[in-house]
Amino acid sequence: MGEFSMRRSFLKTGIAALALTTAFAGLAGFAHAAERGGKMVYARYADSMELDPVWTDANVDIWVLTNIYGTLIEPTDDGVGLRPGLATKWETSADGKTVTLTLRSGVKFGDGTPMTADDVVWSLNRAKDPKQGAWSDLVASIDSVEAAGNIVTLHLKTADPTILAALATFNTAILPSKQFEATPGATPEEKAKNFAEHPNGTGPFMMTAWQRGVSMTLKRNPNYWKLAADGKPLPYLDELDFPIIPDDSTRLLKLKAGEIDGTEFIPYARVKELQADPKLRMELWPSTRVRYLGMYDGPTFKDGKPNPVSNVKVRQALNYAVNKDAVIAITTLGLGKPMRSFMSSTTPMFYGQDLYKYDPAKAKALLAEAGYPNGFETSIYALSGNGDDANDLATVQQMWAQVGVKLRIDLVDSPTRTAKYKAEDYAMRTAAWTNDISDPSEITSYFAYYPNIHSLHQQWQDKDVDALFLKSQQETDPKARAAEYKEIQEKYAASAPILFLYETPYPVAFRKQAKGFVQIPLGNNIFESAYIEK
Amino acid sequence: MNRLGMVGLRLLQILPTLVLIGVVAFVLVRLLPGDPVSNMLGDHATDATIARLQAQMGLDQPIWVQFLLFVRHAVQGDFGDSIAYHVPVARLIAERLPVTITLAALATLIAIGLAVPLAFISAVNADRWPDYLIRAVFQVGLSSPIFYVGLLLLTVFAAALRWFPVGGYGEGIGDHLYHLFLPAVALALSFSAVIMRSLRASILAVLTAEFVDFARSKGLSQRIILLRHVLRNALISTVTLIGLHMGSLLGGAVITESVFAVPGVGRLMVESIFARDYTVIQALTMALAVVVSLTFLATDLVQMWLDPRAAK
Repeated sequence: MGEFSMRRSFLKTGIAALALTTAFAGLAGFAHAAERGGKMVYARYADSMELDPVWTDANVDIWVLTNIYGTLIEPTDDGVGLRPGLATKWETSADGKTVTLTLRSGVKFGDGTPMTADDVVWSLNRAKDPKQGAWSDLVASIDSVEAAGNIVTLHLKTADPTILAALATFNTAILPSKQFEATPGATPEEKAKNFAEHPNGTGPFMMTAWQRGVSMTLKRNPNYWKLAADGKPLPYLDELDFPIIPDDSTRLLKLKAGEIDGTEFIPYARVKELQADPKLRMELWPSTRVRYLGMYDGPTFKDGKPNPVSNVKVRQALNYAVNKDAVIAITTLGLGKPMRSFMSSTTPMFYGQDLYKYDPAKAKALLAEAGYPNGFETSIYALSGNGDDANDLATVQQMWAQVGVKLRIDLVDSPTRTAKYKAEDYAMRTAAWTNDISDPSEITSYFAYYPNIHSLHQQWQDKDVDALFLKSQQETDPKARAAEYKEIQEKYAASAPILFLYETPYPVAFRKQAKGFVQIPLGNNIFESAYIEK
Repeated sequence: MNRLGMVGLRLLQILPTLVLIGVVAFVLVRLLPGDPVSNMLGDHATDATIARLQAQMGLDQPIWVQFLLFVRHAVQGDFGDSIAYHVPVARLIAERLPVTITLAALATLIAIGLAVPLAFISAVNADRWPDYLIRAVFQVGLSSPIFYVGLLLLTVFAAALRWFPVGGYGEGIGDHLYHLFLPAVALALSFSAVIMRSLRASILAVLTAEFVDFARSKGLSQRIILLRHVLRNALISTVTLIGLHMGSLLGGAVITESVFAVPGVGRLMVESIFARDYTVIQALTMALAVVVSLTFLATDLVQMWLDPRAAK
């Protein structure tokens, strides 16, 4: 126990540091002494794959897309609110079935072509086409889109409380329809691929060179519409370079040597060291990332053997048996905080509770009640070579052993773990989630609403939760919707379909002179106000 | 047979090797658990979305249909698009293969440069302190993991002393070589240990041969004996070793390229395997097979030059 109490003091300083940095990071957004010109080099751990808002697959694309393509509405820097983007205002009808948007005038694409209402109609129709890309579900409620002058009207099939957040999400970004359609390619997908070679959007930057897996160069969009506080146009930077450096240690060495201005995914173990470096600035941005262990909850496994975890008491016992503060201290060195719902505390309509405070005696009693007084054996798929997985599981393994649950760790690579998950052929797996949209509906549809993917392919179902979710999806009264989400989160927490672990911030670091970067809780890297102090 | 004919024949022999490797690579990547689409989409995807994207990429077809399509395109020189990066595989490989070949060549030069003189000193002083010292140092080099040596070199010579850049590749040939020097040293250390040990043993064997005694009795100087007679004869087996080592050198490049952020094919291969980027893995395996085969051919040619008997 001595070991844990020592680490707990670590935890407190960590949280204090997080709070401070967050406050500081908020201020940096205003950038009153920003300087124009110059180049920022921001090293990424992995490259993007396809820079098309609709055909994109992964965070490596999504997190940089909005630097190139603008959306009608934008998420605020805290990730919860909305602010005008390519639309200056919007209005939802009383029945919630019509959304009317007023387009900003004078907006141009990077190549100087004016953005038109036709581009908006075309882009939204493309985004909702289920034959194109993986994200059409986010705007599935749109029935038709029409334009008159600078007014665009969305007619919805049903009222949809998530529609405005969806218009602030990458996949509804606006593209130049005529240029896109004139791009060579036999299918829409081929056209998208060719167009994305030289993307042309309304965002603050234009991609000018890209060597896949090596580096990407963005140049300032001279036609960007947004103005800085001094009334002159953004962005401040002339150029933004993204070299790809997969190795954590090498990225940090490059940062310390001053060869790059900033970088992402700082290992937790290095955060304190960077905070102490006078030439650097460590930033910890609040995120929607939750880190949990997935548990298959169905009555029997694929091989026909009975599954102890299908019993709610066993699931609760497993949660009580783990001291989350200890896991947080060991893996994140105190930078994380315990999950208080299945969704992160940064998700709108989050309802937090203290979940399963460490109580091994209670865990043992629950296991005995469930018919496992001596515990049982289980196994988990984890990523080989992943430090977080190794640390989390070493801790969980020890604590579960205290209540008689023996955990075998099977190390695999990510595609293998995903294949087992998709086939629902696993007992447990390490997992993390980040929201793509500033709304609770996406995470809930995957974690808790059975019909979508059997609740994270866990075979967990609560019919009341399914009904509440469907109701909330058409709820136009935010108060009523929040009440529905409170109930969903309470029911989910009580049934403990997952092992609740922790939330973590996004750890990024910059040279002292490199300022103004923003990362919102969804993960988007925003460079429009970034600058280098000379 | 004359040498030109031999080279032509050996080049022809590469073709069946390539076909075999192509088939094996095609089948093996599909036997790996998981698929590129589910892996890309991760947890944020419904089964319907995954199935639709798989169909768009032709991954829902039976494996033999996929194979026939692959063959039909491959014989026309079209190895398809990377599943992850959506650009032609040929373009990815053409951008990166020269980087790895330069790295491997530089590492080989450094390894030889280190190993040859030290092997001589070691052999001439066999079982005396210079020999012990050299062998002890190389033993450490042989047993140190590449990623650790790499990080050590980066920390000392790049980050602290600032003699070299911390990883990357730079612009222009001179800059490329400057960036590749440290990774090549990291890659060369264990390789040079292998060469040193083999060469030392061969030199010791050659030193006791009768023709060396004869050369000494003719009154030739030690320098001429060592350089003209001993080295040439001792190198024959070492050249074979260097050639055969090409495969493990490319394997070592995988780690070196990650640590030093060098954009070569080693890193591309690792990333493609983790992404189950079938098209890249297939084409890259075949490209590497060509490189290794050509190295073997070059090794044989060098050997023929060193020892004309080998040409017969």
